[in-house]
Amino acid sequence: MYSVQNLFEQYGKELDLNLVAGQTGMTRSIKKPEVHRPGLSLAGYKKSLPTNRILVFGKVEISYIRELPKEERLERLKWVITPSTPAVIIARKYRPPTEIVQLCAKHKIPLFRASHTATTLLSKITFLLMEEFSPSVTMHGTLVEVFGVGVLIQGESSVGKSEAALGLLERGHRLISDDVVKVKKREGAYLVGSGPELTRHLMEIRGIGIINVAHLYGAVCVRPDKGLDIAIKLEEWDDRHFYDRVGLEEKFCDILGISVPFHILPVKPGRDVVLLIETIALNHRLKDMGYHSAKEFNVKLLEAIAHRQKRKKIHEADPYR
Amino acid sequence: MKLIRTVKVKNDLGLHTRPATVIVKMLQSYKSSVHFTYKKDIINARSIMSILMLALRKNASIQITVEGDDAEETISALVNAFENQFWEKL
Repeated sequence: MYSVQNLFEQYGKELDLNLVAGQTGMTRSIKKPEVHRPGLSLAGYKKSLPTNRILVFGKVEISYIRELPKEERLERLKWVITPSTPAVIIARKYRPPTEIVQLCAKHKIPLFRASHTATTLLSKITFLLMEEFSPSVTMHGTLVEVFGVGVLIQGESSVGKSEAALGLLERGHRLISDDVVKVKKREGAYLVGSGPELTRHLMEIRGIGIINVAHLYGAVCVRPDKGLDIAIKLEEWDDRHFYDRVGLEEKFCDILGISVPFHILPVKPGRDVVLLIETIALNHRLKDMGYHSAKEFNVKLLEAIAHRQKRKKIHEADPYR
Repeated sequence: MKLIRTVKVKNDLGLHTRPATVIVKMLQSYKSSVHFTYKKDIINARSIMSILMLALRKNASIQITVEGDDAEETISALVNAFENQFWEKL
């Protein structure tokens, strides 16, 4: 549950919010990541008024209320500010009309004043709330950026995820998070991974302990978050398993309803995992640019076969051979 | 077999680095998969960083989910460790 208190504590400074009334209602939950300007409803249109959105009163709303006869103000505001309104924000630091203060105190709705304009508040709050309300999942794995590609390295404990990540860092790639990755779905279309605040840029390496990568290798080796483009699962080499040899078929795994290109990478002595991960990332970039090595080769091969068959047919049809 | 139990952190300092090490070390001898659930986060208990990320305070209650052949032994060992404050003397 995301409450008005959470919003105020996390983004109060950024949004420049000042609490005016309704302190007791700070625990109210925000159920929808939406903000509303109640202009039309104030003017008297009662149909389909969204009740559980945060309300923002801008220049137009405030001057409209001021122009209304006193006896009508409270009536109109009662339609708009209902007991299920999570919070009310007055833009441009306007002094809130007494009727709004009264209603907010009565229903225990937090009332804020902000210095921004209503449009700025609308876009800022919508963006922040969308971020808070987007579906997320905590995954076991290591997220690194390799040649600009966000690679999630998964696998059982002690298969060598952290060691692979350390190797990648040494070659100039970047670490986002080790062991725990918080993955969020943004705009319902793409995934972004980040590390938890507390263990950010820390790594645990067997035999060494906990190290701070940002301090060891410098700021150039870390990033706070990164889009998740591909997933690689490291696993111990199993002779019975048939590993991908040509790469014509692409595998995908599902993370929060989005299919992510997925590779299984067997590990055994002599296989340079770091180099292999780099190659997968580069190949992914190439595919993104429209060149698919395996498919391209297959087309060439089919053409060559077809050409040979044609030659053979001509040869067979030749009566003077 | 899948077993689920809820336990409380009894250590005064919460679940800090040393107790987390005890958990990870203990789990090395068991084969089952072990996950902790705290609030919204589900984490792999074999990873020390994941446990530390939760920053569990004293009296925080977490759910332990164990799945595997030796689930019973694993969960009883874990619950025992939580009960005995990971044998930490303060």
